[in-house]
Amino acid sequence: MILTDQEVTYFVTTIKNSSPYDFSEYSEKSLKRRLQKILLDNNMDLIALINKLKTNKEFLEQTVKDITVNTTELFRDPLIWQTLKYRILPKFSENKTINIWHAGCSTGQEVYSMMILLNELDLLDKAKIFASDINTDALEAAKKGLYKYRFNIGYLDNFDKVIKENPFNYDEYNDVPYNKYFKIDKVSDSIIMNDFLKKKPIFRQHDLVKGENLYFAKFDLILCRNVIIYFKYSLQNKVFKLFQDHLYTNGYLVLGMHETMLGDIASRFDKKGQAYRKK
Amino acid sequence: MYKAVVIGGSAGSFQVITRILNSLPKNFPLPILLSLHRLKHVRSGFVEALSIKSGIEVVEPFDKDTIKPGKAYLAPSNYHMYIELNKKIALSTEEPVNHSRPSIDLTFETAAQAYRDKIVGIILSGANRDGAYGLKKLKQLGGLAIVQDPNECQVKTMTEASLKMTQVDHIFTTQQIINFLQNLK
Repeated sequence: MILTDQEVTYFVTTIKNSSPYDFSEYSEKSLKRRLQKILLDNNMDLIALINKLKTNKEFLEQTVKDITVNTTELFRDPLIWQTLKYRILPKFSENKTINIWHAGCSTGQEVYSMMILLNELDLLDKAKIFASDINTDALEAAKKGLYKYRFNIGYLDNFDKVIKENPFNYDEYNDVPYNKYFKIDKVSDSIIMNDFLKKKPIFRQHDLVKGENLYFAKFDLILCRNVIIYFKYSLQNKVFKLFQDHLYTNGYLVLGMHETMLGDIASRFDKKGQAYRKK
Repeated sequence: MYKAVVIGGSAGSFQVITRILNSLPKNFPLPILLSLHRLKHVRSGFVEALSIKSGIEVVEPFDKDTIKPGKAYLAPSNYHMYIELNKKIALSTEEPVNHSRPSIDLTFETAAQAYRDKIVGIILSGANRDGAYGLKKLKQLGGLAIVQDPNECQVKTMTEASLKMTQVDHIFTTQQIINFLQNLK
């Protein structure tokens, strides 16, 4: 089933008129693809879907969740985590507090990765961890800190690369046991985060499209990885402006491995790799 | 007359793709879109390995990069790579498709929608069926479908699956693929 652009627009308009959600500045390809998948999974055509969206609030919420779901993993892209470990987080070691916002945290793996790293750097106690996502199902999963084991064996490789190894000195090896941070249960096929990590973050639903700072705080570090790839340029810029407004000077914004900041707003930051320092 | 080449491959395709890239002239007139599966533990270093002898520049693109001729765009590890209608790259971390991310099917399908009858699609050696559906879509939308000769493939699953689904335009050896590309204007 191939949807036309007009059909996608019709869908976006329906959602916009019947709910607080606005996908009009989402990238077309991913949005179209997800919409196609929703139609297929529900065995519906677009007209039937639109009618159900208009009359059934629960169905609408579920559809929004299906549109906004994203996958991530523990220490996804170890290079970025090594940058955080050796270059960025040490700059905050003299701070009294470190405010960190995971904007678009999805199912929470990035949040746990950050807390593990902070703990290894003896910075966890002074850190305040804020984590938000538009998708309340993803947030619930994030709070649970429970992940499939078999599907995610790569988590352990990533953990080793970031926590145990030192890319600048191969002789150095910190044999940090996994169970310091999570338990692996092969019988139930699960990785479960330890309680001291789970109770730390302040999880909140938040829609970046609305451009609010829901925490009423300023941040030393904002991570927003593999979120803006789903946004059009115009919305990306709004989001960058939001981050710029709510970062401290010399605070950092970290984007995904293959995301980049374009346009005038980029001149307000010093860029090194995926890390942008607010001037 | 063509505006882009899209190539998909998996197990056994690395040497083939290296040979192809090495044989291209610096002024190759089209962009090449590469969607290749890689082993989980060889996530980085792949683009460097492909670049060493390549005639044209090989990059792992950023989201929203504009596709330019004479450059090869390798789908980054652990991302799907779509081609938008305005000839820009769109990356995504959506669920793997057929256990694959990048998904060859998705790159092929979206590239075909963007370039219609102005694209050449090539499926190389591989151990699963990813790419077969994408090549079918490409052919349906008027693109030119090429499959590496299964007899020459280290692993035939991908090419045979593609041949089963699509009446392709050519079954080529690596050398024939190279000759074909070198003659594109």
